[in-house]
This record gives sequence, C-alpha cells and structure tokens, in this order.
Amino acid sequence: MTSADHQATHDVVKHSERHEGPQKHIIVFVLSIVLTAIAFAAVAAGGVNAAFTVLLLLVMAVIQVLVQMGYWMHLKDRGHMMPIIFMLGGFFVAGTAIVTALYWVWW
Amino acid sequence: MAHAHSVKRHKGLMDWLTTVDHKKIAILYLLAGGLFFGIGGIEAVLIRLQLIKPMNDFVSAQTFNELITMHGTTMIFLGVMPVIFALMNAVIPLQIGARDVAFPFLNSLGFWTFLFGGLLLNLSWIMGGAPDAGWTSYTPLSTTTYSTTHGVDFYTVGLQIAGLGTLIGGINFLATIITMRAPGMSFMRMPMFTWTSFITSAMILFAFPAITVGLVLLSFDRILGANFFEVSNGGNPILWQHIFWIFGHPEVYILILPAFGVISEVIPTFARKRLFGYSSMVFATILIAFLGFMVWAHHMFTTGLGPVANALFSIATMLIAVPTGIKIFNWLFTMWGGQIRFTSPNLFAIGFIPTFVMGGVTGVMLASAPADFQFHDTYFVVAHFHYVIVGGLVSGLLAGLHYWWPKMFGRMLNETLGKLSFWFFIIGFHLTFFVQHFLGLMGMQRRVFTYLPNQGFDTLNMVSTIGAILMGIGILFFLINAIATAFKPKGVAADPWEDGRTLEWAIPSPPPEYNFKQTPLVRGIDALWKEKMAGNKGMTPAEPLGPIHMPSPTILPFVMSVGIFIAGLGFMFSKEDFSNSFMSLIFNNWIVVIIGLLITFGSMLLRSLYDDHGWHIEVEELEEEGVKA
Amino acid sequence: MSATHAETVDGKLPHEPEKATLEGRNKVLSFWLFLGGEAVLFGTLFATFLALRNQTNEGPTANELFHFSTTAYATLILLVSSLTSVFAVQAMHRHKVTALRVWLMITVLLGLGFLGLEIYEFTDYVTAEKFGMTTSAFSSAFYTLVGFHGAHVAFGVLWISILIGQLFKKGLTVVTAPKVYVSAMYWHFIDVVWVFIFTVVYLLGKVG
Repeated sequence: MTSADHQATHDVVKHSERHEGPQKHIIVFVLSIVLTAIAFAAVAAGGVNAAFTVLLLLVMAVIQVLVQMGYWMHLKDRGHMMPIIFMLGGFFVAGTAIVTALYWVWW
Repeated sequence: MAHAHSVKRHKGLMDWLTTVDHKKIAILYLLAGGLFFGIGGIEAVLIRLQLIKPMNDFVSAQTFNELITMHGTTMIFLGVMPVIFALMNAVIPLQIGARDVAFPFLNSLGFWTFLFGGLLLNLSWIMGGAPDAGWTSYTPLSTTTYSTTHGVDFYTVGLQIAGLGTLIGGINFLATIITMRAPGMSFMRMPMFTWTSFITSAMILFAFPAITVGLVLLSFDRILGANFFEVSNGGNPILWQHIFWIFGHPEVYILILPAFGVISEVIPTFARKRLFGYSSMVFATILIAFLGFMVWAHHMFTTGLGPVANALFSIATMLIAVPTGIKIFNWLFTMWGGQIRFTSPNLFAIGFIPTFVMGGVTGVMLASAPADFQFHDTYFVVAHFHYVIVGGLVSGLLAGLHYWWPKMFGRMLNETLGKLSFWFFIIGFHLTFFVQHFLGLMGMQRRVFTYLPNQGFDTLNMVSTIGAILMGIGILFFLINAIATAFKPKGVAADPWEDGRTLEWAIPSPPPEYNFKQTPLVRGIDALWKEKMAGNKGMTPAEPLGPIHMPSPTILPFVMSVGIFIAGLGFMFSKEDFSNSFMSLIFNNWIVVIIGLLITFGSMLLRSLYDDHGWHIEVEELEEEGVKA
Repeated sequence: MSATHAETVDGKLPHEPEKATLEGRNKVLSFWLFLGGEAVLFGTLFATFLALRNQTNEGPTANELFHFSTTAYATLILLVSSLTSVFAVQAMHRHKVTALRVWLMITVLLGLGFLGLEIYEFTDYVTAEKFGMTTSAFSSAFYTLVGFHGAHVAFGVLWISILIGQLFKKGLTVVTAPKVYVSAMYWHFIDVVWVFIFTVVYLLGKVG
C-alpha cells in the first residue's frame, strides 16, 4: 500500500467517523422527552413528598441540559476547553445569584 | 491579486466615525474618557466646595444629591472604564503580536454604544434633573415614590446602553486574547497587562449581565409599573441591593485589575528587571477575580443578613488580602536590586503601591462585620474606596498613559510637567482623603449635603477641600502636558524608554495600521527583552512578507448606537404626559422606540447581508514603507 | 489571513465550514463567551423570580394559573425545534444546502408555533385571569423572565429567517456557515433555558 493510498483510506475512515449519523442525536432527543415526561408525571401524580418532587425535577432538568449541551452543542467534543470554562463561569455566577435569592433576600 | 477590493478611505471626521482600527478606537476611548472624567471631576470639586465649611449653601440639597450621584456614576462607568478600554485597545493587540482585535467592527460598536449611553446619562442635567438616588440607586429611594424626576430613568437607560458597549468590548478582548496571539505567545508568556485585561474582560462578561437585569427590573418598576421593589405589592428592595452588588463588587475589581497590570509593566521596565514571581502574579489575578464574585454581601452587612452570612462574607473578603499581598510583595521584589529610573510613569507606579496598600488595609477593617456597623455609610467608607479607586486605579491609569503615550501618539510627554502633575496629584490626593478616615470615625455621614459647626469636622473638611483642589491642579498639569505635546513633531523611536520588554516596543511609534509587517515569533516572557539579550536587533518574523488583509471602515456601528440612543429616550418618556399632542403621539405609542430599534436592527441586517471583504495592503506597499522607515 | 474571505478553502468546502477561517472560529468561540454572559442574565432573572414567586399580592398564584397542557405543548415544540436545528447543522456538514434550508425552515416554523402559544397564554392570563405586569411582584417576575425568553425566541426566529434568505442568495460558504452554526448554538441555548423555565416556573409552581 502506498502512502497515498494509506492517506486515502485514512481519510475515508475519518470522513465516515466525522459524518456521524443522526442516531446519537435522536437518542438524546428521546432521552430528553423521557426526562421531561418523568418531570411532568411526577408533578401530575401529586401526593408524593414535595421535597422529593422538587429534587427529582431539578435532577431531571440538569441531566437534560447537560446531555443537550454535550451532544447538541458539541461541548463534549475536542477543542471546547474555553467554551466549557466560560459556561461553567456563567453557571457559577448564575448559581450564586439563585442561592442568594433563595436564602438571603427574605428573613 | 485576486482579492483586491477597492475600499473607500475616509478623511477627517468621517475617518474617526468609521474607523475600525483598534489604535484609533483607543484614542476615541481616551477622548470620551477624558470628557466624562472632566465632568466627574468638576462634580467632585463642586461637592468639596459645598463641604468646605459647615452650613454652607453653595449648592442646594437636591443639587448636592444629583452631584454625588452623577459624580460616582460618571467616574465609575464613564470616566475610568473608557480609559481602561483605551489602554486595552492601544496595547493588547500589540503586546500579543496581533494585527488587530478579533472583531474590529464590534470594537467600534462597543465604543459608540458606550459613548451614546454616557451622553444619554449626562443629558439628564439639561432635561429635568440628574439622577439623585446615589450611584448605587438603592430602592425604594430610587422608585417613583421618592425620586419623582426622570433622573433615575436616565440612570437606568443610560447605564444599560453604556453597559452593553462595555460587554461587547469585554467579549471582543476575550476572543482577541484567546485566538489572536502570535506564534510562541502561550498563555504563560503573555505580558501581565494582557493577563489582567483578560481576567477583567472575563469579569465584565459575568458581572455586567447581572446589572443589565437589575436595571431592567428598576426601569420596569419605574416606567411599566412593575412591582419588583414595591413593598406594598409584594416586592423586595433588598433584592436590588443583592443584584446591584453581585455586579457592583466584581465591577470594582474589573476596574483595579488592569491598573495592577499597568504597574506590573511599568515597574519591571524602569527597574530593568523581569517581573518577580510572574506565575504567582497570574495566579493571584485569577484568585482575586474569583473571590471578587464571592464577597458582594459585605456591602450589605447592616441590612441584617444574619450572623452566618455576615461571617461567611467577612472571611471571604479578608481572604482577598492574600492574593493582593502577593502582588504588592512581587512589585517590591521586582524593584529590589533593580536599576530604578524615576520617570513620570514610574513615579505614578511607585506612588500607587503605598497608596493602594492603605486602601487595602481599610478594606480589611471594613470586612470585619461588627466594625462595619460603625463604619457603614460614614466618610471612612468614602476614604477607603477613594484610596483604592483614585489612589490606586487612577494612579495606575496615569502611569499607563504616561508610559504608553509615546506608543499611542508618537510623541513623548514632557517629563517635568509629568513629575509636577504626579506630585500635585499624590499630595492633593492624600490631603483630600486621608483626613476623611478621621471624619468618618468621628461620625460624619457620607452623602450629607452639609453639617453643623463645632463637631470637630470643620478643619478636616477644609483640609480635604484644599487637597481636592491640589489634585485638580495635578490633573490640569497632565491635560496641559497632553495638549502641549500634541503640537510637538512626531517621531519618537520604537522603544522610547529604551528598556521596553514587551512586543509593543518592537514596532514603530505610533504603529502602522497593520501593526506588524510580519507576525513576530515569541520565544519567552518579555519577548522583546529576550531578543535584546540574545543580541538580536528585533523580533524574528514567524511568516514571510505577504499582503495584509484589513477590515473596511464602516459607519454602521455609529448608526446602530444612534438607534439604541433614540430607542432609549423613547422608552424613558413612553409614559410621560406631554402637553404637545405630536410628542404624546410619538412617545406614548412607542413610535420613537420602534424607530430607534428599526435603525439599529436595520443596520445589523445590512451588516449581515453585505459581507465585508476588506482590502489588502500589498507587499510592494509594505516594502516601500520599509524603505522610508 | 489572505484566504479568509475566499468562497472556499483550496477550492472545496471543508467538512466543518464554520471552522475553516479564523473569522469563523472567532465567531463560534465568542458566541460561547456570549452564552456564558447569557447564563448570568437568565440566572439573575431566575433568581428574581425565585425570590418573588410567592409574592402574589392576593392575585392569582402559580398553581391557579398554569395549565399542564400549554406548557407540555410548548416544551415539545421547542425540544423538536432543537433537534431540527441539530439536523440542520448535520446537513451543513455534509454540504447539503437544500436539506439545510429545509431543516432551518422547520425550526423557524416551530419557533413561530412556540411564540403563538406563548402569546395565547399571556393573553389568556391578562384578560381571563386578570394577571398583568402590575398585578403583583410574582406577576412582574413571571412576565419578565418568561418574556425575556420569548423575546429571545422571537429574535432567533428573525435571525434564522434572514439566514435562510442568505443561504438562497449566497449558498453555503465559509462566510455563511459560521452564521448558521452560531444561530444553531443560540437556538439550543434557548431550549436549555426553557428546560429550566418549565421546571422552575411551571412545574415547581404546580408543586407549590
């Protein structure tokens, strides 16, 4: 095999790898639907311990957001170091604002 | 050349309105900053004249409230921010070996948006009264119940627009520093000014959206009748304080970090030594930025957050002294054993260190929650924040301006005038604010428009006012220096201080519009100094000489900012009762807002539809200039 | 930098045309930075809402107002639109301009559907439930948070529509590709914010 051939096969392999199909994204979509359905169902069912419901809802939301940002917004891909740092920074400051609103606004 | 596009070159005023060159935008920022700094300075002098003696009636109480509000707001948002951006624009692309910022168009947009926001805010003086609720604009004082003029509306809308410009600038510099560094310029080889500006830009990115929301809430309360801070309808005024300080505390670090960067450039240059503890400097900067977001509630100890919160924020605040101390010692160790030259930039830099330490010490005192119940809202606080912001930040900026002036304008500032301005400034500064510590400890409240005689306040206030005037003279000397220098011929050397260490000193002063003829190859910290020590004449190029692509000048950023300005005015007066039926037709039906937004979004659309192909500077042109130089 | 404005790089469009030029890469990176700022913006709005969620001032409460069905439809619409914009970017990576345009059009239509639903919902609250901006601190916080999100959707619809027009006129180039990619990021982010809105505002409002 000449090096040019090798290069060509390599390209083809890389090509098919990079042109990922829709499967992954459909899985993410289905997962999102399921997580959303669980959240809605937990609230609609009622009667369950309220604190548990709140926790469940938040966990469902966070998982859904992480999966969507990782796959749909490609944050899990290589070369996304800076985006991840800056999104974490944003979420961190947003988090402090939310904690403040919950604990330090009313007394 | 296949890519040769003809491009319209503007001259005179149009050149300045349409420029996307970071070096020209730096000068625009400097002019705007100078204008607002001047306005804020006049306000400061008026405040001090009112307080020169007890029971003075130089200005009325209402005017005094407007003066203190506008002095604080103008200085923080419109005075020092643009000067910081001026230095960042003038220096950062040069320090990282780039031909321009990542987004020249956005750079221009950021400036014009900032300028029109600042102009809108200052229009309040001639349009029915300036904001009068303090620069913090605490609710309920700033709600329509207690602040009945349009002053606070000018505050919310003006700051909103100016803040948008700042945010745009911040994102632009983040992207520039992340992606536009020359080959070899790794993060840990970046000059300290670039590092601190990078961190400052990141803080702008995370802090300004919070105030955006805060200002939206306040303007909705005032204009649309919302109830965020309206206690009678379920609102909560403490929420404003939290949102304001979640932005506000990072904001003061946004201001000071670039000054730290300037000091870290000036001191090594004039000590002829590399910066002591470079990596600890970087680490300290990042730590200060992180802690800066964790301490906002120390402004609110007296609101009654409770012992747990007060203790937490107290300790977090005191922690900041650690990375700041690292920086102070690093500067001292840099000077230790160096061949120090006391040039005017270096005087400002050396003056910065003890002054800033004093401000830091009172900061730690204020961080102690129980003591803060005594200090709160007294002149002790006023003294503290002026020590860090004026004695610290403004000294740093003046050091930076004196240092980079030859690079920006191609002319050296006069050293004698520079030294005069330093001595007047630093002596005046300490006279003004040192005594205010004692005024505060003796119980003089801040923001009072006058005081009774014989409480021990009289002499100290007189001293403070005299100091303010001396400080004003110092600034005047700088102004005279700048104007006089403008009439001197251009033509300083590329490295006029002769001990330049970083890349900006490797290219002519002022630099050509493409900065670097060939992108330089960076081989270490203090890239130029490294080449000098290796006996090389200049930087090794990292690329062959080739045509340089340049962005086209454009008027669109200016037009977009005018649109936002119009929309802002329209929003402010949308619920106003006009006697003129035409005015009420266009304002009360949101027509003015719609026109403004159409102008802005229309320009945005034009920008999107018509690609900017830019233009090229050809090799022959570059070579020709090479011959001339 | 000389090739940055060429229609294609080396005569053919690369696999990820949005990252083919420095301008393109800068655009994608800075949009991420911008989204970091947007996270703080919405975080502060959420904080405001959470602080004031029970301050109903004797007006309607969250539990009385919200209907499962409207929220569920809105959520489904936005989630599907996020998926269609993923497909748009995938089509772009395969250089299938027609498919790209179709997926973007579907995204825009879904966005319009979401907006219609929101306008219907708000109108219902204002007219039938007497729940306006000025009713209570809760109402102000609700309209501001959800309204800001709605305004983002509206802007996204306009933006993507204009991009579709550009794709007809200019085709897929290294100039238009980053715009498409960035608009898709924006659209996903809107969906991410909505996940928190339906959880924190609507569902937790029902829990009480």
